[in-house]
Amino acid sequence: MNTFKKLAAVLMAVAMMVTCFAGCGKTNYTANNTEYVIGVSGPLTGGAAVYGVAVQNSAQIAVDEINAAGGLDGVNFKLVALDDTHDATKVAANYASLLESGMQVSLGTVTTGPGLEFTNLSVEDNVFFLTPSASGDDIPANPNGFQMCFADGNQGKVAAEYVNGLGFDKIGVFYKSDDAYSNGIYKQFKGALNSSIQVVETVFTGEASDFTTQINTLKDCKFIFMPIYYQPASIFMTQAKDTIAKDAVYYGCDGFDGLAGQLDLSTIPQEVSMLSHFDSNATEGAAAEFISKYTAKHGADTLNQFGASAYDCVYAIFEAMKAAKAAGKDINVTMTASDLCEILKEQFTGDFKFSGNTGKDITWEDNGYVSKGAVKYVLKQADK
Amino acid sequence: MAKLGKIKWKHYINYIAIAIVTIVFGAMSFANLLPSSTVYLLEKIAISIILAVSLSMVVGFLGELSLGHAGFMCVGAYLGGKVSCLLEPVFGNGLITLIISILVGGLIAAACGIIIGLPALRLKGDYLAIVTLAFGEIVRSIFMNSGEESFGGSLGLSTPRYDKSVLFIFAFVLVLGCLAVVQNLIRSKHGRAITSIRDNEIAAHATGINVTKYKLSVFTISSLFAGIAGVLYSFSNFRVQSTNFDYNYSIEILVMVVLGGMGSINGSIVAATLITYLDTTLQTVLTGNLAVLQDLFYALILIILVVYNNAPALSAFRATHNLSVFFEKLRKHDPAHRRDDEAKWDRVPTKIEMNEILSVDIQSTSSTVDPDKKEGK
Amino acid sequence: MEFIETLISGLSIGSTYAMIALGYTMVYGIAKMLNFAHGDVIMVGGYMIFLTMTALGNPVVGLVAAIIFCTLLGITIEKVAYKPLRGASPLAVLITAIGMSYLLQSMAQMIFGSAPKMVIVADFGNLKLGSLSVPVYTLITLGCSVVIMVILSLFVKYTKVGRAMIAVSEDRGAAQLMGINVNGIITITFAIGSALAAFAGFFMLMKSPSLSNTLGAMPGIKAFTAAVIGGIGSIPGAMVGGILMGVVEAFSLHVPAVAPYTDAIEFIILIVILLVKPTGILGKVRREKV
Repeated sequence: MNTFKKLAAVLMAVAMMVTCFAGCGKTNYTANNTEYVIGVSGPLTGGAAVYGVAVQNSAQIAVDEINAAGGLDGVNFKLVALDDTHDATKVAANYASLLESGMQVSLGTVTTGPGLEFTNLSVEDNVFFLTPSASGDDIPANPNGFQMCFADGNQGKVAAEYVNGLGFDKIGVFYKSDDAYSNGIYKQFKGALNSSIQVVETVFTGEASDFTTQINTLKDCKFIFMPIYYQPASIFMTQAKDTIAKDAVYYGCDGFDGLAGQLDLSTIPQEVSMLSHFDSNATEGAAAEFISKYTAKHGADTLNQFGASAYDCVYAIFEAMKAAKAAGKDINVTMTASDLCEILKEQFTGDFKFSGNTGKDITWEDNGYVSKGAVKYVLKQADK
Repeated sequence: MAKLGKIKWKHYINYIAIAIVTIVFGAMSFANLLPSSTVYLLEKIAISIILAVSLSMVVGFLGELSLGHAGFMCVGAYLGGKVSCLLEPVFGNGLITLIISILVGGLIAAACGIIIGLPALRLKGDYLAIVTLAFGEIVRSIFMNSGEESFGGSLGLSTPRYDKSVLFIFAFVLVLGCLAVVQNLIRSKHGRAITSIRDNEIAAHATGINVTKYKLSVFTISSLFAGIAGVLYSFSNFRVQSTNFDYNYSIEILVMVVLGGMGSINGSIVAATLITYLDTTLQTVLTGNLAVLQDLFYALILIILVVYNNAPALSAFRATHNLSVFFEKLRKHDPAHRRDDEAKWDRVPTKIEMNEILSVDIQSTSSTVDPDKKEGK
Repeated sequence: MEFIETLISGLSIGSTYAMIALGYTMVYGIAKMLNFAHGDVIMVGGYMIFLTMTALGNPVVGLVAAIIFCTLLGITIEKVAYKPLRGASPLAVLITAIGMSYLLQSMAQMIFGSAPKMVIVADFGNLKLGSLSVPVYTLITLGCSVVIMVILSLFVKYTKVGRAMIAVSEDRGAAQLMGINVNGIITITFAIGSALAAFAGFFMLMKSPSLSNTLGAMPGIKAFTAAVIGGIGSIPGAMVGGILMGVVEAFSLHVPAVAPYTDAIEFIILIVILLVKPTGILGKVRREKV
């Protein structure tokens, strides 16, 4: 290598980038839209890919259905999904790229860590987002952010109230100490739990897959609270089935959903139940309809509440836009994200109600939290 | 003018190039012509360059393999971020906060460099590599499990985001500062001492060079800049999350250094720019179902580039088909002209190599390099 | 009782680490390179077991298929990505190894999708001795590992190929002059290392049935650490290092106060051991290397 070559290489790189972006400027990116563009950033590769892929697939199903039915007064929708590999540093580039490809409304991010970045970025341009699954308490901190899933803190509180009523004097907890979702729920849970209940706490980190030690620690507990996602939960249950008492209860939050697709629950002797807004085993109602659509197209592998929630998000946005248009609001395909955000904010904090596969008559609070019924689903009774 | 002609322009060409880039993009930014995706990309590139150049000191010039660069960056990001959180209410989110945070974050990272370097630099080659990797993971784990009030725990530390239309300019100024320190050090007599440690530690020791002192100072300076890059990172994101600083990130920085050519600072700069650009482009171009191809492309490009650049069997092909020959032809210049502080793989083995028996293989490649020609100007 | 249970769980984690560490250590001893793609060979072995299990339902056939496939994969990787770089800097080889690792992971996701697969290899239940309750698979893992390691040690010491391996690791040039086919020996080393990775994949699936394309990443790094603790290049060292890592992991996970710091504790132990004994526990310079 010599200096001349290096200079040339640097200058080439500069020239390359300048030509790429010359003339882009801070223009109105939505001016040339022919479809309404919905953007989302989620983990499409890496360890958390199953959640991002579920969201992408389900949102795409919803978009296709809406378009097949004629879109919004003849104008179609388009979904753009970018990969953030559950890495917050990639969100800024994704967000900018989505915005520059004409995004008018967003599903935010799939997971909480990157979502916190997205929340701060989107408020600058006033982009409306309704996240299917980023459940962090701070995600809807700004007026443009809304959640379709329950916020972590609320789930923790509700779960603690439930446990308080059960009358155990000792319970076990198994959670992921480096995960925002798990920590967020557990912190609130611990705060709201009766202080008379003794808690045996076990943790894991990263992508650990051997829980023998934790199971040994928990083996005297009859009730185990697991605010974790279904993937590690399925490993835990498989490894624990002979060690933990047969009549014990595994109790999880919405992250548990998807367990049945992952694990043959009849091989687990203990009771498995969860507090959630969606059940992947539903056999009737809107949920069952969604499940059959999803499995027909993508199989049961990636079916989980993330997807169900994303499907609802797309429809909620669509219906809110339709309702606003019917009420005389000016909604057109080239409108800016910010204009659309003002309209949608008004809708979502107003008397707009949405019914989908994750709940009926869903409304939103002014702070962006969702308000809908959470159901305790018993995925499997204990073997007698 | 006679005096001007004596200046070694080639020593300053990278400053000039980076300054031009900064001025061009800075002007565009003030004229409101830059889309935010470019701004984010530029911030990332600046951070990558600082990381690659500082790691290049350790790997390329000192000849020690470090896999913990992201760990030092993590220290800088968290502590610099914490300082900026504390200063923001007093000074606002301005230049004063930025400078103080950078100083604090960089210095604490440098202190960590001394603490880990003192014992670790006794180890050689892959043992040092695994210890630095371990250091990075330990740091990450500590911040991950920190209390919510101190460093934010698993959610990460919420830090002020600096005005994005200005931050990248400041970042490139820091790149220039980093270059000035590293290049002047490498070109001084101390630099020659450092490269002599790489080429033969025992001989260097025998000629009276204080090996430990030089190793430690290189390691410390390198951690200082990694820490500074970390503080820049904290200002370019709303949150510092420890998950981003895992060993994969250290490896990515190492890839930049190795691809750029060991012991070539300008190579590191170019490689850092191109890899960051490639990463971001693949990430934003491959949407939806195509996202899975990102790693595939990245991996293939990596393997092909490294095999092309290093395979002994391809050395004859390389000698006739490469960019520098191409540019040399344009310039009608002696192709054997090489810079004096530049090390070539097949010519100067790194110390990692010296410990091995691989030296047996040298004869096939060494014939292509004529030692007389190395003494260019 | 709890102490013994934790200890046994640690030994079983440790013997899996030891299996993987053996692959690292042998390849390092012979080829002088860090094979970062080793962890991903485990993952590929896991998917092979998954495929044969779904087709035939027999775990032993699955294991054999995985061993054969991983061996071939190991040889292919060596020929395509590492052999062209023989004689180049070890760092260049390190980078292609990293590239290989990314390549295998992304190909696995393209072929098998992003959802983790559940692979129930076999259900052995628990062994109860009085108040002691130990999962049977931990004992199987432990037993198999010991047998494999004994065979491997004997192989290296007493067969012609094994001695050739020692010769190549001692002095590659001299070995070549003595008529040893160095390239062939390196290929055999990769084959053995990859076959061990298939075993490790089998043990990991026995323990935890979830299979994804990142299965091998963290165990790979931990096992590499174990190999270094034991003295990289040394076969008994890899076993000692692996077992030590496993036991430390189990006990540290057992204590809630330090459990979140488990990874950090393991790495701190690495640093302390290397500071006391810079070549690892059993690493003697140029001796007992494969």
